[in-house]
Amino acid sequence: MLSVGSLLDFDWHKHSESREAFSSVTHRHHHRLKTFGLLEKPANVSPYSPEEVRYKLFVVGKTGVGKTSTVAKLTGNEIPKTHNETAGIQTSTTYWPGKITQLNKQVMFRLQFWDAGETSLKKFDHIIPACTERVDGILFIFSIVDKSSFDDLHQQISRFTSTNDDIVKIAIATKCDQHAHCEVTQRDIRDFENNWKIPILKIQNIQESSQPDFSELSRLLNIICEYLWYRDLILAGKVTKGGAVVGRRPQPPVPTVEKYV
Amino acid sequence: MAAHLICLTSGGGVPIFTRNKGNLKPLPFPVIGSLNGVHMFANSHDVKLLSTTTEDAKVVWKVFHDSITLIIVTGDDSADDIHLNNLLSQVCDAMVLLYGLEDLANIKNIERFKREIKICSQLIDKILDQADLLTVGDLTNAVDIIAAPENSVLQNYLDAFTEAADSPYGCLMVHGKIAIATKRWWTLTSKEMVLLSLLMSSLSPCSSRDIPVFLPNLSPSVPHRLLTFQLIKDVDVCVLCGPSPTLAQLEEEVGRFWRSGYDLLRSLLQLHPRNYPLSITLDSNIMGFILVNRESHRCLCSTHPHPVASSKDTIDSKRRLEILRSFYKHVMGTFFPMSDDPDKGQEEICHQAQESYISTDSHKCYTILSEPHQIFVLYTANIPTFAMRSVTQKTLSLLVKDKHIQI
Repeated sequence: MLSVGSLLDFDWHKHSESREAFSSVTHRHHHRLKTFGLLEKPANVSPYSPEEVRYKLFVVGKTGVGKTSTVAKLTGNEIPKTHNETAGIQTSTTYWPGKITQLNKQVMFRLQFWDAGETSLKKFDHIIPACTERVDGILFIFSIVDKSSFDDLHQQISRFTSTNDDIVKIAIATKCDQHAHCEVTQRDIRDFENNWKIPILKIQNIQESSQPDFSELSRLLNIICEYLWYRDLILAGKVTKGGAVVGRRPQPPVPTVEKYV
Repeated sequence: MAAHLICLTSGGGVPIFTRNKGNLKPLPFPVIGSLNGVHMFANSHDVKLLSTTTEDAKVVWKVFHDSITLIIVTGDDSADDIHLNNLLSQVCDAMVLLYGLEDLANIKNIERFKREIKICSQLIDKILDQADLLTVGDLTNAVDIIAAPENSVLQNYLDAFTEAADSPYGCLMVHGKIAIATKRWWTLTSKEMVLLSLLMSSLSPCSSRDIPVFLPNLSPSVPHRLLTFQLIKDVDVCVLCGPSPTLAQLEEEVGRFWRSGYDLLRSLLQLHPRNYPLSITLDSNIMGFILVNRESHRCLCSTHPHPVASSKDTIDSKRRLEILRSFYKHVMGTFFPMSDDPDKGQEEICHQAQESYISTDSHKCYTILSEPHQIFVLYTANIPTFAMRSVTQKTLSLLVKDKHIQI
């Protein structure tokens, strides 16, 4: 697995040079992420705009583990108060500025999360192909208070991925605020990470009070972006899988053409 | 509205779900059992139990598609049963919309049905949660519109976009109100249009969606795909499609078709929550109104009739809508017929009222029926009662004749 912080600068949001980039994507000094319509994008105050790279992420997991809440948290939307089965597909977009340490270069990550309810997945044939078509990464969601959702991961992984595909795979443990009811142990998590070589991130999808924990959010998004960037480097042949960076200055992948204002 | 909604199978009386609104404790199981029991008992003796009232509550039963029984228990507002029956029909249509008529009418595996029907919970809650709605379509059975001067130009954008989507059905929605729609969208039945608008406002905001929907009248068994794209915050374009194009394909087109309309969309959004053009000035005593067209099934509602809030605004906008809603329920079905209601209720009305009003210490309401339009106006208590008639008439003709208000 990729060691955290090897490609992206995880503390970049604390630096003064990132202020402009972050104020374009967050409300009031890092308090909450801004949401953007399809015709909108972060305003650029500086003369040179950071390169935009787009990724599609498919969010999977058992019904009720918190897929929609996780996406809401990662995109700055309001976290739903009660559980609702998602009808069909729902996509949400987040913009996240990052800094590639090696290149000393700013990048604007545009992550689009594809979230679909289990009932619709089973009932309608077109949902899974739509979600998996040209997907860059899959987020496997499970709840630490529901062991069966964790056990279900194996099935989900073999359902949507194969061993030699180039899809980024990340698992996310939800409901980490409910320690008392925890059914998945640290050992389970360690074993899973070792077996599958898939990192497990932890998240608490709770309504935050006045001072939301921006460091938790930024860590999660940085890790996701770092894996996606790493995958791009592999695809571009700049690094070998599990190996070190080849050459000193890898060229970043060609970004998707900017289609929107 | 505080209410209990109970859904059971008609055959065996197995509870499917209950929804409780307004900080109510869930009804205990024996009570649910008795409520269903009395209905089944009547049924087995060839008696159709429709509704009952207690000292302060009302219970209405209704069976749908010989498959499910819906029971609603709510505070008694002395309004005609038509409105609660309408609400139950809407709940059932909501289930058809997201689950399909076939699976609803033939429940094979109850446990599975219980699990899967949860897909409708959000929409059903929205229908029950009338106090939180900004629209009145659920009540009037006419779809809410927002009448902006930008609409006529935006129509071209929409027509081009829906053509690219290979679909005749498309509309542009602002906070669950239709700004513009294609000709074919307006041919959907009123309940389909209202439900789709309610569905849009029940869902949490996101970039795009691909939702399988079964149109209760047009296509209850074969699903269409409702594709929605958030152009800017709170403004969504919706199209009803067949198997193609895919969500990703159409999303790629969004920028190309709508980018140059960005400023128009921004100014369209500015009109919310007023909902009608700033060029129209209404009488200063007016606090809000509902204008319905029974033929086109469109309605326009505003509780922000004046750009600058004056100091005498003692009633806030939420309360204004509540008053208008209760005035509507008070009048419709009792004095005025609910023309498009398939159920009984009209034959009881032996004379045709054209106008009606109420007067209280804090506000006054006046309504005029002038086919195909109906207007319900909420006034401050300051307006002399004799003046309401002519002001209401003037308001009606001012709104109906305005070229930007396509109602």
